[in-house]
Amino acid sequence: MGGKRGNDVSLIDEQNQIRTEEMLLNVGPQHPSTHGVFRLVVKISGETILDAEPVIGYLHRGTEKLAEDLQYTQIIPYTDRLDYLAAMLNNYAFCHTVEQALELEIPERAEYLRIIVMELQRVASHLLFIGTYLLDLGAMSPFLYVFADREQIVQLFNEICGARLTYNYLRVGGVKWDAPPGWLDKVEAFVRYMQERLSMYDELITGNEIFLARTRGIGVFDTDTALAHGMSGINLRSTGFRWDLRRNKPYSIYDRFDFEIPVGQNGDCFDRYYLHLLEMNESLKIVAQALQQVPDGPVLGKVPKLIRVPAGEYYSGIEGARGELGFYIVSDGKDKPYRMKIRKPSFLNLQLLPKLLRGQNMANLIAILGAVDIVLGEVDA
Amino acid sequence: MIGFLKGMRVTLRQLPKKKVTLQYPDVKPEWPERFRGVHRFIPELCIACNQCARICPTSCISLAGERDENKKMKITTFDINFDICILCDLCTEVCPTEAILMSDTFEMARYSRDDLYLDMHWLYENEQRYEEAHPERVAEKAGRAE
Repeated sequence: MGGKRGNDVSLIDEQNQIRTEEMLLNVGPQHPSTHGVFRLVVKISGETILDAEPVIGYLHRGTEKLAEDLQYTQIIPYTDRLDYLAAMLNNYAFCHTVEQALELEIPERAEYLRIIVMELQRVASHLLFIGTYLLDLGAMSPFLYVFADREQIVQLFNEICGARLTYNYLRVGGVKWDAPPGWLDKVEAFVRYMQERLSMYDELITGNEIFLARTRGIGVFDTDTALAHGMSGINLRSTGFRWDLRRNKPYSIYDRFDFEIPVGQNGDCFDRYYLHLLEMNESLKIVAQALQQVPDGPVLGKVPKLIRVPAGEYYSGIEGARGELGFYIVSDGKDKPYRMKIRKPSFLNLQLLPKLLRGQNMANLIAILGAVDIVLGEVDA
Repeated sequence: MIGFLKGMRVTLRQLPKKKVTLQYPDVKPEWPERFRGVHRFIPELCIACNQCARICPTSCISLAGERDENKKMKITTFDINFDICILCDLCTEVCPTEAILMSDTFEMARYSRDDLYLDMHWLYENEQRYEEAHPERVAEKAGRAE
């Protein structure tokens, strides 16, 4: 509250109501619900948010600038560290852009292995969203369940590429390693196990009255607003707009698989949560189909030892775990990019936050921020 | 209320299930063969070609070599600055003689930054530790080389 508390200043005004003052409150940078080092300066009056200003950049490492001094293969480990919950997808987004520029032919087996790891990664990322979102809203146990399940995906990745978080598995022209013996069977067993677990999550969370009360009708925006702010991914689909790059602009071999693009109806926090659950199921369907079709053969195409991208400008975007993840490369024909720009879905999805928070209750801040599903490594890059 | 009770049922079903946590550090995790821990280095194999130092994205490897009496390149110093190493595995990927490899050493907490400057001897000791811990992997590799 602040201010003087002398005898001349009364805390009770003429109508016998407690006098309130506007107050600036820092949420973060060290706050468990900001999922990283993200600071939100909110102006509140009592419990109501009048204004909110996100402050970002605490995790800025200058990836785009660093990339200008790195060869194309050397950039791949840096992309791991953008959205560190979906490193495989980042790897792919970058490799895909370079491959498009070089017009490379990717071996079939490599394409299938990429699809399998990318969709598993999407499941892992969405699982973590559900766990941390529920944790933000005060539910502890889903967090423990998802970590147990996510651990299995992480172990599978550890076996195929030797790392648990920063995989550096994809290469321009293919993948680093073929799957170890028995790995594909393990994935198949996991897919079956996970499909059962998803219905368990549905039972555990979706119907919970406290959860519904905290998310239904909260943080609503419509398709036009979302498009005007450049939103993509689940944030856009929750408004009922069917836009998924895997379907609308197929890359890799996504046109060979049968899967749905679930969309929401109300564009509220509950829809965004529920779409994560539905999308995991679709991802598992893709993995199951890919496991049926995966052929034998090489896993790395014919790639020159020193990759030189022909002079020009190249962009390609993929459907990341959080939206359209794109890499824009300007090349002057050397072995290093002249300039690299990353289209970071988390960063763009965050732009609507101040508008969403205005007029909301303070307790809803965490619910709304959590549902946008940002990863600060990507926002700050 | 129904949704809440449904969730409670899931929680109760979980009760008799096995624990998934590991009692680290009493029980150590088992890492797969491809696991990328701290490097190990075999000095006899190194031909000081400098490829690992060139591919390293963070430039954490520094090495020097000299020619021996048979005009063959021999390594004299090989240091990895583990302060900035990101364990990307690109150095082992380019090494033509497999002199530098990844081990499953993963506990890297040190009291001083200086201790993170790993030299050739430390890395070779790490190789010996690895061979002791996984004799079957090393034997398999020797078999494949022949």
